[in-house]
Amino acid sequence: MKNILNFLIEANKLKEMPRTGWVLMGVKKPEFITGHVFRLTVAAWLMGEKAGLNIERAMKIALFHDLGEVYAGDATPFDYYGGLSRKKKKDEKLLMKWVRLSKEEKKKRARARTNKETKAFLKLTKNLEPKLKNEIHAHWYDYEKRMSKEARFVKQLDKIETLLQSIEYFGSDNSTGGTSWWEGTKEIVEDPLLLDFLAVIQRRLYRRYRRIFGEKIKVSKTFKKREKELIHILDFLLEIGKLKHMPRLYWMIRGVKKPETVAGHIFTLTLMAWVFGTPQKRTYKMEKLLKMALVHELSAVYTGDSTPYGRILRRTKEKKEKILEKWPRLSRKEKMRKFIDDFRKERKAFKRLSARLRGPSGKEIFKLWHEYRTKNSVEGRFLSQLNVMAVLLQALSYEEQDKKFSAAPIWEWAFEVSDNPVNFELIEEMKKRFY
Amino acid sequence: MNEKYYLTKQGLKRIKKEYEDLKKIRMAKTKGDSPQLLQSDDLNPEYIVFREDLSFLESRLIDLEHILKNIELIKLPPKNKRNTVHIGATVTLEEVDGQINEFTVVGTLEANPDEGKISSDSPIGKILLDHKVNDVLEVTSPIKVVYKVKKIKYSSF
Repeated sequence: MKNILNFLIEANKLKEMPRTGWVLMGVKKPEFITGHVFRLTVAAWLMGEKAGLNIERAMKIALFHDLGEVYAGDATPFDYYGGLSRKKKKDEKLLMKWVRLSKEEKKKRARARTNKETKAFLKLTKNLEPKLKNEIHAHWYDYEKRMSKEARFVKQLDKIETLLQSIEYFGSDNSTGGTSWWEGTKEIVEDPLLLDFLAVIQRRLYRRYRRIFGEKIKVSKTFKKREKELIHILDFLLEIGKLKHMPRLYWMIRGVKKPETVAGHIFTLTLMAWVFGTPQKRTYKMEKLLKMALVHELSAVYTGDSTPYGRILRRTKEKKEKILEKWPRLSRKEKMRKFIDDFRKERKAFKRLSARLRGPSGKEIFKLWHEYRTKNSVEGRFLSQLNVMAVLLQALSYEEQDKKFSAAPIWEWAFEVSDNPVNFELIEEMKKRFY
Repeated sequence: MNEKYYLTKQGLKRIKKEYEDLKKIRMAKTKGDSPQLLQSDDLNPEYIVFREDLSFLESRLIDLEHILKNIELIKLPPKNKRNTVHIGATVTLEEVDGQINEFTVVGTLEANPDEGKISSDSPIGKILLDHKVNDVLEVTSPIKVVYKVKKIKYSSF
């Protein structure tokens, strides 16, 4: 357990690492690596399903693919020029278009990056038990070498996710650099379904600038049939992308300066679901656990993030600091009322979200959230308890960084919620590690 | 965790229904009419996950069978024992500064702390069990909280 906890603490550092490409491009509040991983993993699920892939494998590849960046740092093609800054006029010109390098140079850079990341992966997983370590390594090598069809698919999707983010930051105008990633994405995407998806992106998001690109993306014969479905997935992915930049309210009201985002928290819980769902004797279905973790807080897209203090802070004249010292004390009636209020709001948000996707995927997302929220299945109960551990781990990290911050209320919450051996073991290990 | 599953009548009804539904799905799958039944949009969304995966359906059924074999129905304790916290009790706690906190202690399958229903196997649940009104309790995570038991209530279940 000690080694698993250390692994999670290290992996959590990705929540505070901004993606280098956006920093170089001068984005003021760039997404963190975990934000990218979160949306890519959701995209691997939704698009992978349409492509008939092994969803569990595709999601794991996406979830693990950037773990090495904890030590290797985030690599961007713009590193190739070394130290560019958008503030400098001469650099800005270079940043406006995709990198141009010789084939030899590309190979050399790719080899260097792989070596660096391999070392990082080995360092990160060094003390993990063999089952976990081997699984991470296998999926990462698969991704790097593009061995399975899932790995090839996720590799291409990785570029598309970044493309979407670039459009969200810069629009689709070439005068702002918004077309640079389009160029890079077109170099790598070859899967027929993903090419269709690119065509949908082009039509939906670049339509005013089509002449800039000249030719249209060549679509498959089945494009007409699946165009609508792909539009729904695109809209959904754009919608949940908001969570990459949404700070967690619980930390904000406690004055944490750089709070994790909702997407960052989802990343942690998904990783924990894999770590702790793997060796269990109980019959957890891993694919379901991962999906449930990805889904569990998507309602925040419409409801915003919430805390159990919302209602109390609005009603009381007591000092905010005093209230925040403890986990809320409420009568059963008040707890029920709060649960029902929150549940209704979230249900409405999920209905809206799942309506965007339509069809079985939309229903599945709704159902996964419902099971999680009502704890109406073994996975729902397991994950909702694990969620508290993810929050406690974050609180303890903040407490370690800032002595004024107190994790006490989260400890109380953990003591109310936990009744499975994983939580008990983790609680004991956290006490040893942080106190 | 205990091998016994404490359930209210309602909880038992829910578990039995899931078990019966899943058995029907298994029957449909093995008979071969799964495409019609399982691909239908009318399928209860809770069972979508079983569409492709018969082995998971089997393991869930085994899980439910295990639960059903080990159920202990939560009964209202006799009148002379209702001043003590047993599973099923709603306990009102008071802190030194007068703040009130309330929990209902239930079995793990029905626990939902967001609603104030905590598991008898949780640290707080374990501390509450067997206490009486006016008892003083100490909950020590790395921080210490002291509560006094103010009220113990049993409603019918």
